Amino acid sequence: MTSLEDSIIEIKGVSKTFNGVIHAIKDISIAIRQNEIVGVVGENGAGKSTLMKVLVGVYPPDKGELYYRGEMVPFPKSPKEAAKRGISIVYQEKGVIPCLKVYQFLFLGHEDKYEKLSNLNLSVMRKHAKDILEELHVNCDVDSFMYELPLSTQKMVEIAKSILSVRLEHGNDNVASVIILDEPTAPLTIEERKKLFSDILGMKKNASFIFVSHIIPEVMEFTDRIHVLRDGRLVANFDLTKDKITEEDLFREIVGKESSEHIYKQEIKSDINEEIVLSVKNLSKKGCYYDISFDLHKGECIGIFGPAGSGKSEITNSIAGLINYESGTLTIKGRDVKSKEPPYARLRRGIGYFSGEIDKNLFLNWPITKNISILNIEKILSRFISVMSFNAEKKMAKRIVDKLRIKTSDVNADCYSLSGGSKQKISVGKWLEKSPDILLLENPTIGIDVGARNDIYETILEMNKSGISMVLVSDDPEEYYVLCNKIIFIKEGRIQKVLNPEKFKEVMSS
Amino acid sequence: MKTQNRKQIAPQIITQTLKTHPVAIVLVVLVIIFSIFFPERFLTSMNFTSILKQFTTLMLFALGPSMLVVMGSLDLSFVGIWMLGGILVWILTPVLGMSSIFIIPVLGIFTGFMIGIIQVKAKIPSFILTLSLLVIYSGLTATFAGGYTRHVNGYDFITMKLIPYFPSAFLWTIPLIVAAIYIMKRTSMGVYIYAIGSNEEGARLAGINVDKYKILAFTMSGLFTGIGSIILFQHLGAAVPLELNLNEMTMPLVAIVLGGTPLLGGSGGPQRTVLGALTFSVLYRGLLLSMVNPYALQLLIGLLLIISIVVGSRGLKGVNVT
Repeated sequence: MTSLEDSIIEIKGVSKTFNGVIHAIKDISIAIRQNEIVGVVGENGAGKSTLMKVLVGVYPPDKGELYYRGEMVPFPKSPKEAAKRGISIVYQEKGVIPCLKVYQFLFLGHEDKYEKLSNLNLSVMRKHAKDILEELHVNCDVDSFMYELPLSTQKMVEIAKSILSVRLEHGNDNVASVIILDEPTAPLTIEERKKLFSDILGMKKNASFIFVSHIIPEVMEFTDRIHVLRDGRLVANFDLTKDKITEEDLFREIVGKESSEHIYKQEIKSDINEEIVLSVKNLSKKGCYYDISFDLHKGECIGIFGPAGSGKSEITNSIAGLINYESGTLTIKGRDVKSKEPPYARLRRGIGYFSGEIDKNLFLNWPITKNISILNIEKILSRFISVMSFNAEKKMAKRIVDKLRIKTSDVNADCYSLSGGSKQKISVGKWLEKSPDILLLENPTIGIDVGARNDIYETILEMNKSGISMVLVSDDPEEYYVLCNKIIFIKEGRIQKVLNPEKFKEVMSS
Repeated sequence: MKTQNRKQIAPQIITQTLKTHPVAIVLVVLVIIFSIFFPERFLTSMNFTSILKQFTTLMLFALGPSMLVVMGSLDLSFVGIWMLGGILVWILTPVLGMSSIFIIPVLGIFTGFMIGIIQVKAKIPSFILTLSLLVIYSGLTATFAGGYTRHVNGYDFITMKLIPYFPSAFLWTIPLIVAAIYIMKRTSMGVYIYAIGSNEEGARLAGINVDKYKILAFTMSGLFTGIGSIILFQHLGAAVPLELNLNEMTMPLVAIVLGGTPLLGGSGGPQRTVLGALTFSVLYRGLLLSMVNPYALQLLIGLLLIISIVVGSRGLKGVNVT
């Protein structure tokens, strides 16, 4: 990375390790000029968040230099100091405080500027809030509560708050600020995203932005330059004003070519039963997905692929009963189900939902045995009275542990003590034991190493072979190739095309 | 405001008030019902004074805790501070004279600070922590009192009659209520308390020292309860009870929740507790006049607490919490 003239913020050779061993980020250099939007992209765990936290003073870096307008300055030690250097952050979630009024929220943490003898000057606060929102073209009433605003406006107010905090720390309204947007679109619907982006483009003349995301089309559309992080290193830089790149180029840099070669390969079986177990017709939910139709046959695995935010996880969540759908029909084994049917009723119909996010499906302070038996209690009840048999429970857990090669000394060990891969295996294992008719998989191997990944693929394929039908949603395209018989491409909530795995591989690697 | 809007402002304020303080309707309905059914008993100056007395008791107990409920915490120690404070006054009066009454606010600050520290450091739910403390304090009270109800004389000036029909304890309460509302609405500390109750993580991300403000809020609650207990001490008869009275503990909670401060925190506050305490006092007095079995009243308090909690949390469902 060459250093840029007229940069506001520039970092050089920043490294950060945790516990002195794992390199979260290594030797990263990035510069941000006035009035530009810089994208920082990478997979989960690529080090994006760590880098941003170093910039705003949450973590101190081990090595590296920070330049503010060409002058070397020490790294900030707190968000307040970062604001003094012109850097402020808008967090992905949890940044909004719903029960505060807009003007209260805007000045939160900076009340001391409006305080006289511990009396807040509310009228001045309101007026300043109005001024800044007008300047940034954020259209809302300063006296309404945050929760009353639409989500995209809430985000805009958060961005305004960031710009404001830089200005207040400097005491100067014309100071250049760098605002970090950490996956700002994650909680938004498609329509809200579009609105947010047009608003952010309008703000470009007031501030520079670092846009952290893993949603490729968004980054391509709205940024001037893109930095790609992979495994904590800066692997590629693109200048979109000069270079001509495609989404696939960017995608390849993010995922990395070498990672795909280790993954377990298995011939895709073609003997699919004619019996339809799950039928989705014209399923729609406003703001998430529209007119989704497909049939899932017995023993088939369908992948729903699309960029993050395309509505793919909302579709599986609707099928699992976690969120409702608004129109269309969902038929499970020949029976129509209601939109509002809760997950436990769907499970009774034979639909299981497995998400790779460990805190969603494991009780970490419970032993392995209980984590497996929670889903399979009916299997370990004694024959005569409804009492759990601990012996049967232990046997069941042992079977799973052996089968999935989970490294543990004792099946009664708490799940806390296990490695990430082993935890994931236990969650897969309990579904293996349950063997529902249909299993919905969402990011089944997120954040685990290649070895554990292969064990999990093997298990999933085995379940698939035994006649369990599956729907897969994942951020990793390799997974579709390994597991699916059919891949449905969706974009902005609508089905684009349906591909077979070979064709999918071609499309992804071309 | 523009002139053409002037006419619409008055109804707007009324509808806005009804939206944010639905219990106001309940209050009006109760007053009308009781006035129709017991005109010669309910619409008397004596009853008016009684309602104000009841309101004063409730308000002084509920003032500090209502600020904490906004923060999403709960403080039950108020009865304990009042009881133990009273017995300390009885012990210290022979030594220090009249100024010994100020031991109660000191005890309040100490208690609140201690609760705050323990809550922040040990991360115990404030409900169980303050409940345990209440039990400890009532035990200490009984020990110090040596098993007898103790009377303390000489503080009559607190309840000296100033204005006819208005109990003076009520008059002393007004500045306290104003101070509490002022703190919650016009100071940065108030904003932080609302912020913590609404979204603790978000408050932390906004650069607020959450732990510090939690401790401060508990201390402030203790201080308000302490000052309130000075008034209550004389208001409730200048005698220190030995037994913990369940009603004294639950009724202020009913007032807080009935007023419209959800136990989850984030909204509401002392100004709503005023309304809740008033409504509850009117209901309580009205039912006493209607000759309901006094034991049934207790049942009613419990039911009312549950209903207002359910209504309170249901009301919050309309709020789009992100």
